[in-house]
Amino acid sequence: MPDIFISKKKKSENTKKSSKLSSKKHSKKREIDYLNGYKKPTYNKNPLAAFSYYPIKANFINQDPEEKVILILRKHPITNLRWIFIAIVMAFAPYFLQYFPVMNFLPENFQLVAYVCWYLLVTAFVFEEFITWYFNVNILTDERIIDVDFVNLIYREMTDANIDQIQDVTVKMGGVLRTIFNYSDIVIQTAAEIPQIEFDDVPKPDKVAKILRQLRIEEEQEKIDGRVR
Amino acid sequence: MNLVIGASVWMVVKWFIILALVLYLIFAFVIIRQVQLMTKTLEVGFEGQIRIISYLHLIAAIAVLMMALIVL
Repeated sequence: MPDIFISKKKKSENTKKSSKLSSKKHSKKREIDYLNGYKKPTYNKNPLAAFSYYPIKANFINQDPEEKVILILRKHPITNLRWIFIAIVMAFAPYFLQYFPVMNFLPENFQLVAYVCWYLLVTAFVFEEFITWYFNVNILTDERIIDVDFVNLIYREMTDANIDQIQDVTVKMGGVLRTIFNYSDIVIQTAAEIPQIEFDDVPKPDKVAKILRQLRIEEEQEKIDGRVR
Repeated sequence: MNLVIGASVWMVVKWFIILALVLYLIFAFVIIRQVQLMTKTLEVGFEGQIRIISYLHLIAAIAVLMMALIVL
């Protein structure tokens, strides 16, 4: 009796080991450098990067347990220049007001509160613009593409499509700034319910298109090999 | 007489400012809720700092409201 028990345990240990090995093999298989063709990609540690290839920490809502994030895209940092410029002008506006005494009719205590409220508004403006940039992302995983848009304060729009549903990828490059700083819109036609997903102002669009192409090839290969999850 | 009218005008202005700051306080709460929603949607490693900034913003909004109540 005990012998049988021991042998069973061994067997279960073996199956555990083999399943661990296969999962390791599986995860190793997933970590492919789609850009350079190496087996191990270099991980991105910067959470503020606009082009975050293999981010070291990346989780999103509705993520499958085995799903691996390959690329996180935000708008090119240069697109933030407009609101940064507005914020600088807003920050220095009270300084210029001393040459145009429009606030002098107010009592001093009211002037003080007005200045403090103004800087509170500037802070809110900067913070809102920053979080809008930070959280409006496009995510590429080994299974799907996801477009997360925060339209206003409390409204979120999340669109996704499977990699094998991608039909056409168009890179729209044009304009002086876009050419200098290498960013553009990418339009992805899909066979999903939402026929078109747009990545706006993403940096390194050619690399993104290349990764998308590699992902599609990989997905097709998985289908042929019968490795579809 | 003019002094009395002037004082009552500034009193009305004061309560308008305080009302605006109360509305701003609600806006600061909405920002906190929005940040919570956003950080639930995406975690990339900078959420802690963003959450701290949103709470600091709320504290600043409360502080300005208090200051307005005291100074005005």
